[in-house]
Order: sequence, then structure tokens, then C-alpha cells
Amino acid sequence: METENNKLATWRIDMKVYSILKSQNGDIFETVKAFFARLFEEGIIDYLLVPQRISNGKTLTQTLIKGVDNLEGVNPFSPVMAINSAKLVAQVGSVNKDKKVGVVIRACEIRALIELVKLGQANLDNLVIIGIDCAGTFEIEQWAKLVEESGDPVAKETEVLKDIYAGKTDYQEEDAPIRLRSSCQICNYFTHDKADITLSILGMEDDVLVTLEQELAEKLGLETADEPMSHKDVLEDMKNSRTYKRESTFDEFRDKMQSMNDMADILATCTRCYACQTACPICYCRVCFFRTETFSPESDRLLRWADKEGSLRMPTEILLYHLTRLNHIAASCIGCGMCESYCARGIPLSTLFQAVGDEVQKKLEYVPGRSVDEELPVATFKREE
Amino acid sequence: MSNQTDKDNFEPKIVAFLCHWCSYKAADLAGTARLAYPTNVRTIRTMCSGAVDPVYIIKALLDGADGVLVGGCVLGDCHYQSGNYKARRKMNILHSQLRALGLDEDRVWLRWISASDGVLFREIMFEMVEALKAKGPNPMKHPWDIWKTVKGGWKPKTINSPRGE
Repeated sequence: METENNKLATWRIDMKVYSILKSQNGDIFETVKAFFARLFEEGIIDYLLVPQRISNGKTLTQTLIKGVDNLEGVNPFSPVMAINSAKLVAQVGSVNKDKKVGVVIRACEIRALIELVKLGQANLDNLVIIGIDCAGTFEIEQWAKLVEESGDPVAKETEVLKDIYAGKTDYQEEDAPIRLRSSCQICNYFTHDKADITLSILGMEDDVLVTLEQELAEKLGLETADEPMSHKDVLEDMKNSRTYKRESTFDEFRDKMQSMNDMADILATCTRCYACQTACPICYCRVCFFRTETFSPESDRLLRWADKEGSLRMPTEILLYHLTRLNHIAASCIGCGMCESYCARGIPLSTLFQAVGDEVQKKLEYVPGRSVDEELPVATFKREE
Repeated sequence: MSNQTDKDNFEPKIVAFLCHWCSYKAADLAGTARLAYPTNVRTIRTMCSGAVDPVYIIKALLDGADGVLVGGCVLGDCHYQSGNYKARRKMNILHSQLRALGLDEDRVWLRWISASDGVLFREIMFEMVEALKAKGPNPMKHPWDIWKTVKGGWKPKTINSPRGE
């Protein structure tokens, strides 16, 4: 855990250089494909974990690719996020440095990964982290519906991506054909400075902006360039508008939460199916307390409780489950919103967790997933605080 | 929620998680020294205040405890070096969480009581009972039973989720 190698490369952002990859015929997918091919050829990576189209472009899924021949249909700027890939990256991460794995992940996934490293559940020794500047993702089932109805999934995907990454529309309006996931709408941490390589098409029209270490740029034969103004502007605008929306969403939430009845009301439709827990990248226990015998009691005990209380909500302890998960996760919640996307009942879990997480993190002066150098708040303490 | 007479007759139930090395000994000492303290408290001995996972505190509140006390060693005196510092962090998180959810964080107390301080234990018990009497019964009990517990007084509010549909 404490080894030097287990840390993400901590090159500061000002020690990195920018390079612009020009696209032929405006096809950014070909451009990134060529870039990944270069990474393979130069031996920077041996494998690549990257979102790739499946089912004729109906959806995208993370794929572990070996070699240049299998790069067809990869799209690092995937408009859907089937799962927070931190969990997948934790599976491919290893102490064995012989085989380098490039992993294409978003800021929220990098943050979750860093939290997993702090928990001793992930290893970064063999990884090349390729971050992307992420403008947001859509609910996977809504996306599939949209592109299927359009008739040409890839064309639709390109159109939506270009719109959103140019900052033209943010897909947040009530009447938009499809809306960003609620957590993406309020995300203001969509770019991560600890990635080894960062790919961005924010405000880049048809080109791709690469941020990487000087040495690596030379090895790949990339010309360095200045950061384009249009990129900076879109980044800044997006950050401001999302921060505003974030704050107002949290304020609204706090206004509404006045008693335990409000909490119970939000969770009224929950059946404790554990989907939110399965989806959560940082729900860290190997075996959850709530999945043990303690929470599937025998008949005698249930009847005894019913005797005592008069009425007993079944399945039992739904509120306890969520309040405890909130307590355990709040300090580390990176706001990927997977809990809400997975919830079959549409419970606004992401808002709930992030609003509480925001309060807790501010109090602890902790930003989850910022750097592996920081310790988990509950694993450390200060004498005076 | 409850009128004045209810409050006068109301006896709060307190669940106290006491550290084996200090607060529990202090409670013991109060007993052997015949220092009478309120009988509202139900003590649970734990090996360290740092071992009290908030799940137990939340469970106590949901099941109708009016207040929860976590008693640990004076800072710097932890039998396990740093357990009470960690307990302080856990309580900090729990308090922030309860506040963010609009719940009453003042029903959860964290106090440092050394093994020799039976008098302090007694004082804290009196203080806590008084504070909880002023608050009245814990409204967090049986929250799913909204129809039964709050008739007409409470209206469901929608928390907007921009999920669409």
C-alpha cells in the first residue's frame, strides 16, 4: 500500500504538455483510434480497457482489448456509463508490472479508483490511466431507446457528443430529447489532473486535445501546442453552470428534509434489493453486514418484534440500511450517481448521497479521490480538531 | 408534538455505549460510591468508543431510543492509543449526516469520562435526561408508519430527480 509505485503519477499539471490531434474529415473516433494504436505500437500499453460499441452501436461497454487489431468501434467519450469502471480497473490492476494496461476512465471513475487505493482494494502499478474530460453521461436504457429510434446509432452518437462537448446544449432542459443523468447534471469535477494522459474534445470542434508528460509526447512523436482558448472557455463555462446547479440542488434538498418522515418518504418504494450497493464503487466491505444472517432473521424473532412494536415494515430495516450506507459512504462519495442509475424504483439516491456527502466532506475538509497522498478521514485523525 | 403534561411525565430512554476501560468503569464507580443517577440509561459495554459503528446508534434511534450516549476515554488516554480520536471522527460524520437530513443531531452525545470520574458520569446522566425531557419523545421512531404517526400534519414532498420519465 505504501510503495512508491502504487501512487498515481503525481506530475503536476503544469509539467504536462498539450498536443492537438487533427482529425481527418472530422472523424474524432478515427483520431483516437490512431492514438491508441500509437500507444500499442510504442509499447506504452499492452492492453487497453476502453468503452466500445456493441449491438450495432445500441450501447457501449468497457472492453479489455489486446492489440491494435481490435480497436474497431472504441469511443473513449462514451455517452453512457454502464458501471463505474473503478471496480473493473481494480480487477485488472496488479503489482505485476510486466504487462501495462491502459484504462480509459472518467474523472468520477479515477476518483473512485483513488478511494479504492486508499482502502487497499486497488493497485495501480501496471496501469496507464487515460482520463477523459467528461461532459456527462445518459441513462443507459434511455440512450439505447434514442439511438435505436434514430435508425443510425453511430451518427446519432456523433451528433449528440459534438453538441454536448461543444457546449452548445447541456441536455438538461425539461424538453430535451434525452437528459443527462442527474449526477452528471450537477457534476463540477469532470476533469482529473492526476491521470497519466488526458483526452479532451471539450470545445475542440473536430480535434482531440491530449495532455501528457513531455517525455511521453516525444516518444509518441507529438508536437506540443498551447491550450486552445475555446477549450478553456467551454471548461470554465461548464464548471460554473454545473457548480451553480449543484449548490441549488443541495439547497433545495436541505430545505425539504425536515424530519425522519421526509427520509422515509424518499425511501418509501425501496425493497432493499441492494442494487445501489452493488453499483457503488466505494461501498468497501467485502461482505456487507446487511447481507448477513442478522438481517434475515428467523420467524420467531420477526413475530416477537411484531408483538412488541405492533407493526413491522417488511423487508425490515430499510431505513437503517440506507442511513448506515450513507454514514459509511458520505466521506468518500464521489458522486458518480451509479446508485441512482441502478435503482429500479427511481429513488433519488444520488441527490441524497451527494447532499449529505457535501456536508460531511466540507466539515472534514476532505475531497474524495483527489490524490492518493491523502488519507481516508476515518482512518486518521488530528489531535486538535 | 406533545403537550406540556406529556413532557412532564415523559421519561426518556437512553442507550449508552460505554468504553470498557473508562466510561463503563466510571458508571461502575458511581454505583459502588452510591452516587444515585437517573435510571433512564441502558448501558452497553464496548471495548472501545472507536468500535461503536454508527449503525448501532442509528438502529437505537430508529427503534425508539430518545438519546444515545457514547462514552470514551479522555483524549490521549485511549487504551488502544487512538480509538477515541477515531470515535470523534465517526461522531463528527454522524452529526453532519443527521444535520443534512434535517434530523436532531443533539440526541447523540459523545462524552469523555475517565474511569475515576463516577461523579462526572452521574452529572452527564442528569444533564442528558434533562435535555431530552425538554426535547420530548424521539420522532424518529417507526418513521415508515407515517399514516399512523402523523395524521394530517405531514405532507409528502417530492425530491426532484432529473431522471426524466
